Formats: sequence, structure tokens, C-alpha cells
Amino acid sequence: MKVQVFAVLKDHFDKEFEVHANISNAQELKNFLIQSRPETKNILNNCRFAVDDEFVEMNFKLKIDDTIAIIPPSSGG
Amino acid sequence: MIPLQSYHPVAEDSSNHISAAPLDPVALISLAHHPKAGAIVLFSGEVRDSNLGKQVTHLEYEAHVSMASKMIAAILKEATSRWYLNIAIAQHRTGKLEVGESAVIVVTGSAHRKEAYAANRFIIDKIKHEVPIWKCEYLADGTKEWGGNCNCGVVNGEW
Repeated sequence: MKVQVFAVLKDHFDKEFEVHANISNAQELKNFLIQSRPETKNILNNCRFAVDDEFVEMNFKLKIDDTIAIIPPSSGG
Repeated sequence: MIPLQSYHPVAEDSSNHISAAPLDPVALISLAHHPKAGAIVLFSGEVRDSNLGKQVTHLEYEAHVSMASKMIAAILKEATSRWYLNIAIAQHRTGKLEVGESAVIVVTGSAHRKEAYAANRFIIDKIKHEVPIWKCEYLADGTKEWGGNCNCGVVNGEW
């Protein structure tokens, strides 16, 4: 699956990257990312996850060809 | 009998809510005339030279463009039906912005000013709190700060 990150998360991850681990839902993806970059735990715990331009719950089932966007709290305006 | 037409020249084009090019408040207000609208309100959120006592040299805004466009379109639709707007336009800038540039513009038009003001406030508050757009402040000391002035815990718009 493909992961896209934004804003402050780009200081810790590539803007877009592939994850090949065995991951079945959004929570597992979050846990995987925290494990690989423990310093992002607080940030990731404040983020929402989105697939196909819609926010998803953490139990959302992920498919291998999904692109998951990780959305930090908004700071527009 | 002439049918009533709603007139949302920009709101109809959801690709137009996020702009990498400079925003043009004069062009937007020039679109915002409607025979049923007696009140037009334009809000421009602009880049300040300081935040929390620190000197800001410039800002960069980033967006999840497709998601932000859809969400702004939905916010405009909600405000239009709630306040019977004749005009509802919103554009947010991305990329590097200098002090004094418009980062976001909201234009609302309705029969009377009360609705145009209320809807405009509703739209800008929703955009700030909910739409996936992020600000990075570049400070005079050479450092940068993501999401400065983010009031996401505040939902009633009082800051």
C-alpha cells in the first residue's frame, strides 16, 4: 500500500512511500509507522487517516492497492 | 416568468478552491454581484509579519488538494442552504506567501448583511479547523514552525 504524509510528518517520512508489511487496518498502519519512527508517536496520535479523499476510522480495512493519506490537525487560514 | 437562478461562479468549480497562484480579492469581488443579494461580505486572511512575538519572514501552505477542494465545496454548499446565500466563494492559497498576501478569501452574498456576515464567519472557521491545509511559518531566526496559530481545540470560533 502507498502512504502519503503531509506538513510536519514530512520532516520524519518521505512525502510518499510504499509499505509492504502485513497490515490489515489503519490502526495497524499507525502502529507500524510509530514502530519505525518512535519520535512521531505524539504527532501520529493526533492525525486522522483518509482513503480516497474520505476520512476513515482506525478499524478501516486496508487493501494492498489503497493509498492512505495521513492528515495532521489543520492549520489553514 | 423568469426562473430563479443561483449564482455561484466559483463554488461550482471544485478544482478552484485551492490555488497555487496568488489570490485576487478584486477579481473575486467583481464576480460577486447578484440581483437578489443586497449584502456582499469579503474576508481575506492575510500573512502577518509576526506571530506570538516572533518575526515571520514568509509562510508556506500545503494542502491535500483533492480532499481540501471537496471539503471546501461541501462547506460552501452547507452555508448556502443554511443562510440562503446567493453567492458563496472560497479560495485558499498554497505555496510560498510573502507578508501582506492573501492566504484565504471567502466571499458571501445574501439578501441582507446579517446572513452574509454569519455565513462568511462559519465558512472561514470551518476551513481553518477542518480542511486539510497546513501552514509552515518561516521565522527571522532561520527556523521554521509547522502549524503555528493552529487553534484546533477551539471549535466555537472565538480566538
